[in-house]
Amino acid sequence: MTATTLRRLIVIGLIALWEILPRAGVIPELFLPSLSSTLAAGWNDAGEYGHALAVTLYEVAISMAFACGGGILLGAIVGSLPRPRILIMPMVSSLYAVPLVILYPVFTVWLGIGSESKIAFASIYGFLPTMLATAAGIQTIDPQLLLAARSMGATLSQRLVRVIIPAAIPTVLSGLRVGGALVIVGVVVSEMLISSAGIGYLISRYRTILDSPHVFAGVLLVLAMAIAFNAAIKWIERKAAIWQTGSRAGQRAADEITAGAIQPAT
Amino acid sequence: MQPLANITPLKPAGAIEVRNVGQIFKTTTQDVVALEDVSLDVKPGRFVVLVGPSGCGKSTLLMMMAGLRQQTSGTITISGAPIPEPDPNRVGVVFQEASLFPWLTAEENVEFPLALRGVAKSDRRARAQDALKLVGLDGFGRRHPHELSGGMKQRVSIARGLVQDPPVLLMDEPFAALDEQTRMTMGDELLRIWAATGKTVVFVTHSLTEAVYLADEVIVMSPRPGRIVDHLQVSLPRPRTYEMLSGDAFGSLRDRIWRHIRKSA
Repeated sequence: MTATTLRRLIVIGLIALWEILPRAGVIPELFLPSLSSTLAAGWNDAGEYGHALAVTLYEVAISMAFACGGGILLGAIVGSLPRPRILIMPMVSSLYAVPLVILYPVFTVWLGIGSESKIAFASIYGFLPTMLATAAGIQTIDPQLLLAARSMGATLSQRLVRVIIPAAIPTVLSGLRVGGALVIVGVVVSEMLISSAGIGYLISRYRTILDSPHVFAGVLLVLAMAIAFNAAIKWIERKAAIWQTGSRAGQRAADEITAGAIQPAT
Repeated sequence: MQPLANITPLKPAGAIEVRNVGQIFKTTTQDVVALEDVSLDVKPGRFVVLVGPSGCGKSTLLMMMAGLRQQTSGTITISGAPIPEPDPNRVGVVFQEASLFPWLTAEENVEFPLALRGVAKSDRRARAQDALKLVGLDGFGRRHPHELSGGMKQRVSIARGLVQDPPVLLMDEPFAALDEQTRMTMGDELLRIWAATGKTVVFVTHSLTEAVYLADEVIVMSPRPGRIVDHLQVSLPRPRTYEMLSGDAFGSLRDRIWRHIRKSA
């Protein structure tokens, strides 16, 4: 049996257990409603969930643009210039260890409980790993490649476009993977804390009235969103980085960043 | 008045002239004299090897010939004109392993210097094909560097150095990262390519055997400050063969170089 089939069987088994255990009364429906009742709850209020999903996706998209755009831009500057690197990197690294969610109440004071505070919080949350990965990606470019390009008469802008950017893509992508995942976390968590719309808000509201099937319907939607994001990044990675096997140095730097990013979400 | 650029160079294409060249590296604490008063003439079509212990400035000298670094004093001319910046039409450079762009295929790597100059795609492809054929990699153009062996990667590098047909090819320890067998084969391959193209080759190496085996002339350098301590003519017949390695003529040349290097080490 291959690893893939085994993995699929495990997933199918878990889904089956999700249906069977609550139905058999092994787990109370309040703790874990059966899959079918969860889906039914979601289906019956599809309009409400659809609206919430739209709000959340909108916030995720905007935050993603800020986090990734800003992270790549600043990471590129910090990675290529030694002076800002010495100044900024220690600060960013320490900031990375702080549970940023403590700032969220402040954001709601500044920006209100609408989408703006979620976008601000999630942008900063996803920005840090993207920036760190980009800086590492630029720093780990083999200087020999730049020298070779120069020997062939490449101008500064040609070196940037034809060498530095393609060489940094794998590390930047792995930064985007972590940064993007944190953006989703940031948006949902902030919706759960203080808000009036979005999937996180729905989950939080149904929890207070002990409506477990509706809570889990929201959880399923977040899960689907995260999986879809991951699949999208994987697809881009495959498209953009067929040569990754040839560049272990960049990959190692990316792994370090990814390992550092495993911190409590809130 | 006639602009300077229109004056025909007095030296033929492929000649290298190094006159009283010095190089000083400035560090925060002190100035390090890397090269001192180096003078050297390479005639067109010659195969010249630079040897010397680590830190003798042989790679630095090569980088200055490539226009990648400017000397502190003295002059260097390639085909009769100074080389203030890299010029792939006059000088091709082959580095140690790992200077191929891993995200490009072999043929795209070879096309790279042409692409920088905006040469049309079809023209580019044709010239890359010719260069790959010359180095014996016909049919491997679509592979990425990680799908090629170390020796094949260096063949691609050589093809990339030759694609603009410069009269001079500079090679900085190109086979240093290869295993012994591949290194021998690549040496023979390089001699074949050199004979077929008639380029002037300046080749930097640590290996005395490689130096004598490949060269018309061997330049021996001393460590800091780098100076030329000997200039040997290698009169072994061509084509060079494996059997020559164990001959007396080969041995005495290698011994002579070794004695210089041992003295300075």
